[in-house]
Amino acid sequence: MTADLPERSVPDISTPAMDESTAAPGAPAPEPGSAPDGEWLRVHPASPFVRGWVALAAIGFFFGRDIVERLLQGRPLIAEDFAGRAPWLVAGGGIMLVLAVLGFILTWYFTKYQVSEGYVRVNSGFLFRQQRQARLDRVQAIDIVQPLLARIFGLAELKFEVADAGESAVKLAYLRMDDARQLRATILARAAGVVPDPARPLEAAPEAPEFPVLSVPPSRLVGSLLLSEQSVGVVLGGVASVILSAVTDNRSFYFYLIPAALGLAASYWGSFNKGYNFTAAISPDGIRLRYGLLDTQAQTLPPGRIQALKVVQSPLWRIFGWYRMQVNVAGYGAAGSNGESASRTTLLPVGKLPEVMSMLALVLPDPGTPEPGRIFAAGLGGLDSDGGFVTTPRRGRFLAPFAWRRNGFAATETALLIRSGRWWRELVMVPHQRTQSMALHQGPIARRFRLADLVLHTTAGPVSPRLTQAGLDEARTLFDEQSARARLARNRQTSEQWLAQVAPAPMTAPVPGERSGSETINQQESTNRG
Amino acid sequence: MPTEAIDPAGITWQRVSPKYVTVRLVEWAIGNLLAVVVLSLPLVFVSLGWWRWPPLWLAVTVPAVTLVLAVWRLVLIPRQVRAIGYAERDDDLLIRGGIFFQRTMAVPYGRMQYVDIGVGPVERGLGLCTLKLHTASPGTNATIPGLPAEEGARLREQLAARGEARLAGL
Repeated sequence: MTADLPERSVPDISTPAMDESTAAPGAPAPEPGSAPDGEWLRVHPASPFVRGWVALAAIGFFFGRDIVERLLQGRPLIAEDFAGRAPWLVAGGGIMLVLAVLGFILTWYFTKYQVSEGYVRVNSGFLFRQQRQARLDRVQAIDIVQPLLARIFGLAELKFEVADAGESAVKLAYLRMDDARQLRATILARAAGVVPDPARPLEAAPEAPEFPVLSVPPSRLVGSLLLSEQSVGVVLGGVASVILSAVTDNRSFYFYLIPAALGLAASYWGSFNKGYNFTAAISPDGIRLRYGLLDTQAQTLPPGRIQALKVVQSPLWRIFGWYRMQVNVAGYGAAGSNGESASRTTLLPVGKLPEVMSMLALVLPDPGTPEPGRIFAAGLGGLDSDGGFVTTPRRGRFLAPFAWRRNGFAATETALLIRSGRWWRELVMVPHQRTQSMALHQGPIARRFRLADLVLHTTAGPVSPRLTQAGLDEARTLFDEQSARARLARNRQTSEQWLAQVAPAPMTAPVPGERSGSETINQQESTNRG
Repeated sequence: MPTEAIDPAGITWQRVSPKYVTVRLVEWAIGNLLAVVVLSLPLVFVSLGWWRWPPLWLAVTVPAVTLVLAVWRLVLIPRQVRAIGYAERDDDLLIRGGIFFQRTMAVPYGRMQYVDIGVGPVERGLGLCTLKLHTASPGTNATIPGLPAEEGARLREQLAARGEARLAGL
């Protein structure tokens, strides 16, 4: 049954339906530096039922509705004409049930996965078979998701993301929680470049230790929801409808607000359910995010997988000094309408300044500047040239009467910071290593003021870095310098396996302290052009 | 007022084939003339007395404005084609375009995921092709239209070779 003869087995990643193990402890040792292949495993047998409970519920609903309706209407439970139809109905229901269960069992039987050297493979489907293999060193994120029903049964879904903005590369639903965590640890260890001890290849990869960084108290989450733009809309809408009904003397008007209220309640509930008990932790495997009230989710973002980051603060949140952080991760894709990826791309739903700073430190361990605190603080709340930011020149104030003192950029050795917005403050950070391509834009009005926009292209996600209304000369210089910086950063990045990444000395080697802070930051690599 | 280019100084731009104007003309004709003709139909019907609505002034104004805009676009085409340019630098490919709305883009070779060459029916007749670069970002809309076929093939090979030499991860 096993497609390949695995040389080694990884114990502790076992499901109840595991194939008989073909692993032999005395099998020839794998070539040096390679990890042994795992065996082919199946997901938990109960998983199709947990996943397909909607289908089962639909069948139940179909047949139960009639009975319930009769009960509610006080009619006899079994209609007079029901006796004749009963066998057909029972037979039909039975056949559908059997087909559904058979389908579940077949899907389960033909879904197998394997973690082998450098790859994770999944075979699925019985009519249309699919074999998928994803490179471990291309992992962008690993999520463990537990919907409520799966949580009741102690099951979890594992999602393995590679840089394809569409569906997850590997989706294993469902494993037992312990197995899922073990599998995650194994995948992350292999992806990091940990070579299993050849003397004890049966040893499963231990889970990397993690250190909690922050958690969001529920009170703050509720507060952030109450102070959201949506709440302002609700209050305005409520006031408007009261005034309207008073003026027009038309009470029936409230009737139409019921669906709107239901929709709003669902939206608030969704945000609360997703953001509840948000905790962030750091481990050698990357940043761990956990959240959720009924459906829980645990995300792992390996080091260097964050493509771009955004810190935003709305005017209402400024009262309490709250910020929200969102990231672009290659596997997560753009925030769709379903709201799922909206929560997955949230690095911090609501946090105060020290927490924002510690998350920034996690995302960018090497800020590339002697005084990161000052630069980030200037990016979050500063004006004009605080912290070495270069803003829109004074001549551009007619185009951005409020924001021209905010709109600006600062470059450190490792990342470009773009800040904007006087009321809706925003700070975008793109590591130089992650810059894909970039473009200068200029329209006729901007040309009149000798301004230009610089757009950095990054993977799909909520962050779209754009430096607006920079002075033409500054933008042009930045365009050149940024190309040089991105090139240097690309050369410095040697491997996708984060343990194997060596950190060579900075190529530019500026003598620290030779120049003043902001000058060092902005001028540094201009000598390296060409 | 002469337009000041936003590109970095000291770049020698390769220009696309002047024959690309023809491709743009065909596209223009299909898009704009059709619109003008369709929008002129009410005028015909009204003047023939088949329709009572719209009033004559409206029936005249709408196609007239469309026609003026179409002619304006037509006049711009040769200038727009002349504005398209690309330059192979050591580590990235620069692409520029536009006069009113200028854009200069730098695509590092190491970031290219794949390169497309597309040939439409009109382009095929003129021996042209369109080269498109893809990176991991959907925002990279790097297209060089109107390349002579052999130049397109050369550029593709060149880009692939350079991309392989400088390949970086995501």
